[in-house]
Amino acid sequence: MIFNADEAHNIVKECIEGVLGKADYNHNKVNQWTAAIVEQSLTHLVKLGKTYKYIVTCAVMQRSGAGLHTASSCFWDTTTDGTCTVRWENRTMNCIVNVFAVAIIL
Amino acid sequence: MQRRPPPARQGEPGSPRVRRCPSPAWEPRSSWHHRRPPLLPSRRSSMLSVLNAPFASRRSSLVAAPGGRRPAVGPWMLHSRVSFSGLPLFQPIQEIRYENTYRMQPDEGCKFSACRVRRVLESALAASLGDAAYSAQSGAQLAHSLADLLRSRAKEVVPPRYKLVCHVLLGQRGQQSLLVASRALWDPQSDSFASATFSNASLFAVATVHGLYFE
Repeated sequence: MIFNADEAHNIVKECIEGVLGKADYNHNKVNQWTAAIVEQSLTHLVKLGKTYKYIVTCAVMQRSGAGLHTASSCFWDTTTDGTCTVRWENRTMNCIVNVFAVAIIL
Repeated sequence: MQRRPPPARQGEPGSPRVRRCPSPAWEPRSSWHHRRPPLLPSRRSSMLSVLNAPFASRRSSLVAAPGGRRPAVGPWMLHSRVSFSGLPLFQPIQEIRYENTYRMQPDEGCKFSACRVRRVLESALAASLGDAAYSAQSGAQLAHSLADLLRSRAKEVVPPRYKLVCHVLLGQRGQQSLLVASRALWDPQSDSFASATFSNASLFAVATVHGLYFE
Protein backbone atom coordinates (compact mmCIF):
# COMPACT_ATOMS: atom_id res chain seq x y z
CA MET A 1 0.00 0.00 0.00
CA ILE A 2 1.67 3.17 -1.20
CA PHE A 3 0.42 6.65 -0.49
CA ASN A 4 -0.99 8.24 -3.63
CA ALA A 5 0.33 11.79 -3.51
CA ASP A 6 -1.35 12.94 -6.72
CA GLU A 7 -4.77 12.05 -5.49
CA ALA A 8 -4.16 13.94 -2.23
CA HIS A 9 -2.78 16.90 -4.15
CA ASN A 10 -5.94 17.22 -6.21
CA ILE A 11 -8.19 16.88 -3.21
CA VAL A 12 -6.38 19.54 -1.24
CA LYS A 13 -6.17 21.94 -4.17
CA GLU A 14 -9.90 21.79 -4.64
CA CYS A 15 -10.49 22.47 -0.97
CA ILE A 16 -8.24 25.52 -0.99
CA GLU A 17 -9.84 26.93 -4.11
CA GLY A 18 -13.23 26.41 -2.59
CA VAL A 19 -12.40 28.25 0.61
CA LEU A 20 -9.98 30.98 -0.44
CA GLY A 21 -11.01 31.26 -4.08
CA LYS A 22 -11.30 34.95 -4.74
CA ALA A 23 -10.98 36.34 -1.25
CA ASP A 24 -8.43 38.90 -0.14
CA TYR A 25 -6.47 38.59 3.05
CA ASN A 26 -8.62 39.43 6.04
CA HIS A 27 -7.15 39.07 9.50
CA ASN A 28 -10.53 38.39 11.09
CA LYS A 29 -11.40 35.58 8.75
CA VAL A 30 -8.08 33.79 8.59
CA ASN A 31 -8.95 31.59 11.53
CA GLN A 32 -12.07 30.21 9.97
CA TRP A 33 -10.39 29.86 6.59
CA THR A 34 -7.59 27.70 7.88
CA ALA A 35 -10.01 25.66 9.95
CA ALA A 36 -12.26 25.13 6.94
CA ILE A 37 -9.40 24.14 4.64
CA VAL A 38 -8.03 21.67 7.12
CA GLU A 39 -11.39 20.17 7.97
CA GLN A 40 -12.53 19.77 4.40
CA SER A 41 -9.21 18.29 3.29
CA LEU A 42 -9.30 15.78 6.09
CA THR A 43 -12.89 14.81 5.38
CA HIS A 44 -12.19 14.22 1.72
CA LEU A 45 -9.05 12.25 2.47
CA VAL A 46 -10.94 10.02 4.85
CA LYS A 47 -13.56 9.37 2.19
CA LEU A 48 -10.86 7.65 0.14
CA GLY A 49 -11.30 4.83 2.61
CA LYS A 50 -7.64 3.93 3.03
CA THR A 51 -6.14 2.71 6.29
CA TYR A 52 -4.08 5.80 7.02
CA LYS A 53 -3.72 8.22 9.86
CA TYR A 54 -3.60 11.75 8.44
CA ILE A 55 -2.03 14.99 9.60
CA VAL A 56 -2.99 18.10 7.67
CA THR A 57 -1.28 21.42 8.38
CA CYS A 58 -2.15 24.69 6.76
CA ALA A 59 -0.25 27.98 6.88
CA VAL A 60 -1.78 31.16 5.50
CA MET A 61 0.43 34.19 5.21
CA GLN A 62 -0.23 37.72 4.10
CA ARG A 63 1.80 38.68 1.09
CA SER A 64 4.13 41.45 2.01
CA GLY A 65 7.39 40.54 0.38
CA ALA A 66 8.81 38.64 3.34
CA GLY A 67 10.36 35.28 2.75
CA LEU A 68 9.05 32.00 4.13
CA HIS A 69 10.59 28.52 4.20
CA THR A 70 9.00 25.30 5.34
CA ALA A 71 10.72 21.99 5.95
CA SER A 72 9.64 18.71 7.41
CA SER A 73 11.45 15.65 8.62
CA CYS A 74 9.70 12.41 9.35
CA PHE A 75 10.54 9.18 11.11
CA TRP A 76 8.34 6.54 9.51
CA ASP A 77 8.17 3.65 7.13
CA THR A 78 9.06 5.02 3.72
CA THR A 79 7.43 2.14 1.87
CA THR A 80 3.93 2.79 3.13
CA ASP A 81 3.85 6.36 4.40
CA GLY A 82 4.00 9.54 2.39
CA THR A 83 3.51 13.26 2.24
CA CYS A 84 2.11 15.83 -0.14
CA THR A 85 2.54 19.60 -0.17
CA VAL A 86 0.31 22.07 -1.98
CA ARG A 87 1.25 25.70 -2.49
CA TRP A 88 -1.37 28.18 -3.51
CA GLU A 89 -1.31 31.92 -3.78
CA ASN A 90 -3.28 34.85 -4.94
CA ARG A 91 -2.68 38.56 -5.00
CA THR A 92 -2.80 39.11 -1.27
CA MET A 93 -1.87 35.88 0.43
CA ASN A 94 0.07 32.65 0.31
CA CYS A 95 -1.23 29.31 1.46
CA ILE A 96 0.82 26.18 2.10
CA VAL A 97 -0.89 22.90 2.98
CA ASN A 98 0.99 19.77 4.02
CA VAL A 99 -0.59 16.36 4.17
CA PHE A 100 1.21 13.56 6.01
CA ALA A 101 -0.20 10.05 5.77
CA VAL A 102 0.97 7.36 8.14
CA ALA A 103 -0.13 3.81 7.46
CA ILE A 104 -1.88 1.61 9.96
CA ILE A 105 -0.96 -2.03 9.74
CA LEU A 106 -3.98 -4.21 10.17
CA MET B 1 23.97 -32.99 -8.62
CA GLN B 2 22.28 -35.27 -6.16
CA ARG B 3 23.22 -35.32 -2.54
CA ARG B 4 22.76 -38.22 -0.28
CA PRO B 5 20.52 -37.30 2.59
CA PRO B 6 21.95 -37.90 6.01
CA PRO B 7 20.31 -40.54 8.17
CA ALA B 8 17.22 -39.23 9.97
CA ARG B 9 17.65 -38.60 13.62
CA GLN B 10 14.99 -39.72 15.98
CA GLY B 11 13.36 -37.70 18.68
CA GLU B 12 13.91 -34.28 17.15
CA PRO B 13 11.61 -31.62 18.45
CA GLY B 14 9.31 -29.90 16.03
CA SER B 15 8.66 -31.84 12.91
CA PRO B 16 9.29 -35.48 12.60
CA ARG B 17 11.62 -36.73 10.01
CA VAL B 18 12.83 -33.44 8.70
CA ARG B 19 16.19 -33.95 7.30
CA ARG B 20 18.82 -31.66 8.56
CA CYS B 21 21.39 -30.27 6.31
CA PRO B 22 24.76 -31.75 6.85
CA SER B 23 27.39 -29.62 8.49
CA PRO B 24 30.67 -30.76 7.20
CA ALA B 25 33.83 -29.76 8.91
CA TRP B 26 35.02 -27.71 5.99
CA GLU B 27 32.14 -25.26 6.21
CA PRO B 28 33.33 -21.67 6.39
CA ARG B 29 31.60 -21.04 9.66
CA SER B 30 33.99 -18.64 11.23
CA SER B 31 33.70 -16.07 8.50
CA TRP B 32 29.96 -16.22 8.69
CA HIS B 33 29.60 -16.35 12.40
CA HIS B 34 30.65 -12.84 13.17
CA ARG B 35 27.93 -11.51 10.98
CA ARG B 36 25.33 -12.99 13.17
CA PRO B 37 23.90 -10.52 15.66
CA PRO B 38 24.96 -11.27 19.22
CA LEU B 39 21.40 -11.60 20.45
CA LEU B 40 20.61 -14.83 18.66
CA PRO B 41 21.52 -18.03 20.39
CA SER B 42 23.64 -20.26 18.30
CA ARG B 43 21.50 -23.29 18.06
CA ARG B 44 19.49 -24.60 15.23
CA SER B 45 15.91 -25.61 15.25
CA SER B 46 14.80 -28.50 13.22
CA MET B 47 12.56 -26.33 11.05
CA LEU B 48 14.91 -24.71 8.66
CA SER B 49 13.82 -21.80 6.63
CA VAL B 50 14.65 -22.17 3.03
CA LEU B 51 15.50 -19.48 0.63
CA ASN B 52 16.14 -19.30 -3.01
CA ALA B 53 19.40 -20.89 -3.90
CA PRO B 54 20.18 -21.25 -7.52
CA PHE B 55 23.75 -20.91 -6.36
CA ALA B 56 23.20 -22.81 -3.21
CA SER B 57 26.15 -22.39 -0.95
CA ARG B 58 26.81 -24.96 1.61
CA ARG B 59 26.58 -22.80 4.62
CA SER B 60 24.63 -23.64 7.67
CA SER B 61 21.45 -21.71 7.95
CA LEU B 62 20.83 -18.59 9.93
CA VAL B 63 18.05 -19.63 12.20
CA ALA B 64 16.35 -17.61 14.86
CA ALA B 65 15.39 -19.11 18.14
CA PRO B 66 11.74 -20.09 18.12
CA GLY B 67 9.68 -17.00 18.73
CA GLY B 68 12.67 -14.75 18.22
CA ARG B 69 13.18 -12.07 15.63
CA ARG B 70 15.36 -12.22 12.64
CA PRO B 71 17.37 -9.22 11.62
CA ALA B 72 16.22 -7.73 8.37
CA VAL B 73 19.30 -8.51 6.38
CA GLY B 74 17.61 -9.51 3.17
CA PRO B 75 17.68 -12.80 1.38
CA TRP B 76 20.47 -15.08 2.53
CA MET B 77 21.95 -17.87 0.60
CA LEU B 78 20.90 -20.85 2.58
CA HIS B 79 20.84 -24.51 2.25
CA SER B 80 18.26 -25.98 0.05
CA ARG B 81 16.05 -28.45 1.67
CA VAL B 82 16.53 -32.02 0.71
CA SER B 83 13.45 -34.08 0.10
CA PHE B 84 12.98 -37.70 0.86
CA SER B 85 13.82 -38.71 -2.65
CA GLY B 86 17.09 -36.86 -2.49
CA LEU B 87 16.23 -34.13 -4.97
CA PRO B 88 16.84 -30.60 -3.75
CA LEU B 89 13.76 -28.44 -3.34
CA PHE B 90 14.12 -24.77 -4.13
CA GLN B 91 11.71 -22.27 -2.70
CA PRO B 92 11.38 -18.61 -3.61
CA ILE B 93 12.83 -15.84 -1.49
CA GLN B 94 10.65 -15.20 1.49
CA GLU B 95 10.19 -11.78 2.90
CA ILE B 96 11.28 -11.57 6.47
CA ARG B 97 8.20 -10.93 8.52
CA TYR B 98 8.20 -10.11 12.15
CA GLU B 99 5.90 -11.89 14.48
CA ASN B 100 2.81 -10.16 15.70
CA THR B 101 3.26 -8.62 19.10
CA TYR B 102 -0.49 -8.17 19.63
CA ARG B 103 0.11 -4.77 21.14
CA MET B 104 -2.68 -2.36 20.29
CA GLN B 105 -1.78 0.49 22.57
CA PRO B 106 1.36 1.89 24.10
CA ASP B 107 2.36 0.52 27.49
CA GLU B 108 1.38 2.32 30.63
CA GLY B 109 3.48 5.37 31.17
CA CYS B 110 4.95 5.14 27.72
CA LYS B 111 2.83 7.67 25.92
CA PHE B 112 3.90 10.63 23.87
CA SER B 113 4.59 13.35 26.39
CA ALA B 114 3.62 16.64 24.79
CA CYS B 115 5.09 18.98 27.41
CA ARG B 116 8.40 17.15 27.47
CA VAL B 117 8.72 17.34 23.71
CA ARG B 118 7.73 20.99 23.72
CA ARG B 119 10.49 21.81 26.20
CA VAL B 120 12.98 19.98 24.03
CA LEU B 121 11.78 21.87 20.95
CA GLU B 122 12.00 25.23 22.66
CA SER B 123 15.52 24.67 23.89
CA ALA B 124 16.68 23.31 20.53
CA LEU B 125 15.19 26.25 18.65
CA ALA B 126 16.70 28.78 21.01
CA ALA B 127 20.10 27.14 20.83
CA SER B 128 20.28 26.92 17.06
CA LEU B 129 18.53 30.15 16.10
CA GLY B 130 19.65 32.32 19.00
CA ASP B 131 21.42 34.99 17.04
CA ALA B 132 20.80 33.92 13.45
CA ALA B 133 19.80 36.45 10.84
CA TYR B 134 17.40 35.64 8.04
CA SER B 135 18.81 35.47 4.53
CA ALA B 136 17.08 34.21 1.40
CA GLN B 137 19.95 31.96 0.36
CA SER B 138 20.53 30.20 3.63
CA GLY B 139 16.93 30.17 4.79
CA ALA B 140 16.01 27.00 2.97
CA GLN B 141 19.03 25.08 4.19
CA LEU B 142 18.54 26.34 7.70
CA ALA B 143 14.94 25.18 7.73
CA HIS B 144 15.98 21.78 6.42
CA SER B 145 18.73 21.27 8.97
CA LEU B 146 16.46 22.51 11.72
CA ALA B 147 13.81 19.96 10.80
CA ASP B 148 16.36 17.14 10.97
CA LEU B 149 17.79 18.41 14.22
CA LEU B 150 14.41 18.70 15.89
CA ARG B 151 13.39 15.29 14.69
CA SER B 152 16.47 13.66 16.15
CA ARG B 153 16.08 15.53 19.42
CA ALA B 154 12.43 14.57 19.67
CA LYS B 155 13.28 10.96 18.92
CA GLU B 156 15.48 10.81 22.00
CA VAL B 157 12.66 11.67 24.37
CA VAL B 158 9.79 9.93 22.66
CA PRO B 159 8.98 6.32 23.70
CA PRO B 160 9.55 3.51 21.18
CA ARG B 161 6.95 2.43 18.62
CA TYR B 162 6.12 6.03 17.76
CA LYS B 163 6.36 7.50 14.29
CA LEU B 164 7.30 11.16 14.19
CA VAL B 165 6.40 13.94 11.80
CA CYS B 166 8.36 17.13 12.36
CA HIS B 167 7.35 20.29 10.52
CA VAL B 168 9.25 23.59 10.63
CA LEU B 169 8.24 26.99 9.31
CA LEU B 170 10.94 29.59 9.07
CA GLY B 171 10.17 33.11 7.92
CA GLN B 172 11.45 36.59 7.71
CA ARG B 173 10.04 38.93 10.24
CA GLY B 174 8.22 41.70 8.49
CA GLN B 175 4.90 43.37 8.82
CA GLN B 176 2.88 40.39 7.74
CA SER B 177 0.79 38.12 9.85
CA LEU B 178 0.83 34.37 9.67
CA LEU B 179 -1.45 31.67 10.96
CA VAL B 180 -0.59 27.99 11.15
CA ALA B 181 -3.31 25.42 11.73
CA SER B 182 -3.26 21.67 11.78
CA ARG B 183 -5.74 18.90 12.19
CA ALA B 184 -5.22 15.21 12.34
CA LEU B 185 -7.09 11.96 12.10
CA TRP B 186 -5.57 9.66 14.70
CA ASP B 187 -6.15 7.77 17.89
CA PRO B 188 -6.53 10.43 20.56
CA GLN B 189 -5.55 8.11 23.38
CA SER B 190 -2.11 7.32 22.09
CA ASP B 191 -1.21 10.06 19.61
CA SER B 192 -0.41 13.66 20.26
CA PHE B 193 1.61 16.62 19.10
CA ALA B 194 3.82 19.39 20.48
CA SER B 195 4.70 22.76 19.02
CA ALA B 196 7.02 25.62 19.85
CA THR B 197 7.77 29.02 18.42
CA PHE B 198 10.81 31.20 18.42
CA SER B 199 11.42 34.69 17.14
CA ASN B 200 14.22 37.21 17.15
CA ALA B 201 14.74 40.52 15.43
CA SER B 202 14.92 39.25 11.87
CA LEU B 203 13.23 35.87 11.76
CA PHE B 204 10.64 33.65 13.33
CA ALA B 205 10.28 29.90 13.47
CA VAL B 206 7.35 27.60 14.22
CA ALA B 207 8.06 23.94 14.88
CA THR B 208 5.51 21.15 15.29
CA VAL B 209 6.15 17.52 16.10
CA HIS B 210 3.34 14.96 15.77
CA GLY B 211 3.78 11.57 17.34
CA LEU B 212 1.73 8.65 16.02
CA TYR B 213 1.70 5.29 17.70
CA PHE B 214 2.64 2.53 15.34
CA GLU B 215 0.38 -0.44 15.90
